[in-house]
Amino acid sequence: MKKPKKSKSARRYPLLDRLVVLRPRLSAFMLDWASWGYVAYGVMYLLNKYWYLRYVNFYGRLTLPAWAWPVVILATFELVMLSHASGQSIGLNLFGLKLLGPDYAPPTMRQRLHRYVALHLKLPFQPLVLFSDRPLGMLLHDGERAGCMFQVARIKDDLPPEKPGRWYLTYRGLCLAGLFGLTFWLGWKITAINLQMLVDRVSKSSHIWHDLFTPSFTYLTESVNERGHLYSITYYMMETIFMAFFATVTGAIVAFPISFLGARNIMGFNAVGWLIYSVMRTLFNALRSIESILMAVLFAVWVGFGNPFAGALALFLHTIAALGKLYSEQVEAVDPGPLEAIAATGARRWQVVIYGVIPQIIPSYLAFTLYRWDINIRMATVIALVGGGGIGTLLFYFKNEVGRLDDAWNQVGAVIVAIVIIVWILDYISARVREKIG
Amino acid sequence: MMDDLIRIEHLTKIYERGEVLALNDVSFTVKRGEFLVLLGLSGSGKSTLLRCINRLIEPTAGTIIFDGIDVTRASSRQLRQIRRRMAMIFQQFNLVKRSTVLTNVLSGRLGYVSPAASAIHKFSKQDIDMAMADLDRVGIPEQAYKRADELSGGQQQRVGIARALMQQPDLLMADEPVSALDPATSHSVMQHLETMNREDGVTVIASLHFLSLARRYGTKILALKDGEIVFEGLPTEIDEARFMEIYGEEAKEVEVR
Repeated sequence: MKKPKKSKSARRYPLLDRLVVLRPRLSAFMLDWASWGYVAYGVMYLLNKYWYLRYVNFYGRLTLPAWAWPVVILATFELVMLSHASGQSIGLNLFGLKLLGPDYAPPTMRQRLHRYVALHLKLPFQPLVLFSDRPLGMLLHDGERAGCMFQVARIKDDLPPEKPGRWYLTYRGLCLAGLFGLTFWLGWKITAINLQMLVDRVSKSSHIWHDLFTPSFTYLTESVNERGHLYSITYYMMETIFMAFFATVTGAIVAFPISFLGARNIMGFNAVGWLIYSVMRTLFNALRSIESILMAVLFAVWVGFGNPFAGALALFLHTIAALGKLYSEQVEAVDPGPLEAIAATGARRWQVVIYGVIPQIIPSYLAFTLYRWDINIRMATVIALVGGGGIGTLLFYFKNEVGRLDDAWNQVGAVIVAIVIIVWILDYISARVREKIG
Repeated sequence: MMDDLIRIEHLTKIYERGEVLALNDVSFTVKRGEFLVLLGLSGSGKSTLLRCINRLIEPTAGTIIFDGIDVTRASSRQLRQIRRRMAMIFQQFNLVKRSTVLTNVLSGRLGYVSPAASAIHKFSKQDIDMAMADLDRVGIPEQAYKRADELSGGQQQRVGIARALMQQPDLLMADEPVSALDPATSHSVMQHLETMNREDGVTVIASLHFLSLARRYGTKILALKDGEIVFEGLPTEIDEARFMEIYGEEAKEVEVR
């Protein structure tokens, strides 16, 4: 293959190419800004915790006056500029950018200072670079005096080989270690972790542990309360299994055809295909990010609290989204060779799907569907918390009877045993079947 | 000219937003009944050229006239009708590995059959008989109900040929059909192509790596280098100097017997 001639004046790079080259630089900047913002948040939180609450006002909360917010934003912006001018930041590292002199020499202190000033002076005019004739990826401040920001992947052959140092001594290592440390510190405080309390209050829960481990199977086959529509553990076990089964089967049937719409290689690379692909993928991701237990809240109101139909609907919707995404990824991973061969015989696109794609994806589809059944069973055991039906109905009923019934925790123990048994059995079955298919 | 099956004019293909020029202003014609061999190093544009002819790859510029029809301007419906007259076989055979050999062969018929029937894998008795006859012709009738990935490389390529035969094509394009095969199997596959060419009158365009195979089977040779035609002529015209020109100074001829 031969590169087309790159003459300086005759052929300008299209706008899109310029944008593509500038994207990592913009992404690096935004990432660094976000991480400096995070550090600022951390500093505020810890100041509040260790200084303000202790020495100023125990009931109060340290907040900034209104005018200080723009200052914080500007200050973090300035920090990003500083780290970019020095050529050292997590963003630049992650997006493969390196500050070097025009001859690939390491930047001098003078160049870094110059760059810092130039960044400020030329920032408002940065968009002009998209319409200028500068070489690809060169911003206005790139040049002889301020050094250039290179994409390492593009120039790696010209760079002298670098001896890898110890990671914790590199700038990136230090930054990542610092951010991890800050996150750990904040997390410890925000989640109120207190190991002392765990030990001090152990006596409060000991009788519950005792009751849970001596389950009482009074209601294994006998209904708890016929009039209140509360049946036996066995009844709810079956309800749970069938709820999950129904949701998985119907979800898979719906997800199967629409998964092809969410696959890049099937939809082609034209505008319409891209649009359908994006809509499908967005839909899958949006639906998937709502846990089925949240959907069940809605359906429980719609079809009645405690109605297993509500749980089945919620699991069904979530299954479509989850399987749709997994299926689409499988479709995208098929071997393109046979598709090419079948298309070359003059077949229609959907014929290519039937004869080329489907035979390739069947095994992984089955495996994913069984795996999903597994997940749905586990979800179906707790979906009753919001009125979705299933064995959780009894679990939460007895839990709420604590104080009114003497053996409430023993009953809860029995339900938990039932749940563990269902999950184990179906886990085992699906693992064995998946083994056979694989 | 009526005896030109394919006329290619100023064909150009640029990949990846103008970064790679795969074909640069390629023009040539292929006569009916010819066995044209494409030579050239890996990356010289042979595969791209073949895939441009049936538009598996969209050409950037230029025209391709197949039997008087402009392929580059065909609608998707016309393109399907053109494609079923051009069969193609591949270096990696490109069979659907989990389907049976028979289904793979029958898929060569998809351009002809009624769409509704094909959706439920239903083929006419005629088509199935034809598929069995084609498998018989390439010498593997007993493998019809095996899964394609149970077959050896040479057998898989013969399934590819049977699939091509199902199209009853006017043109057969072979993209390095023997590169993944051993020398003995290579010859048997090439002989099947030769039979198609001689007896059925199918025009063949095959890209090959070995000059010895090209000399033995080709009636005309076209050599590509960096996306441009560097040689066009009879197999006998390629001497040491031409060979160097095509494959570079350091190349040395290796023979497959």
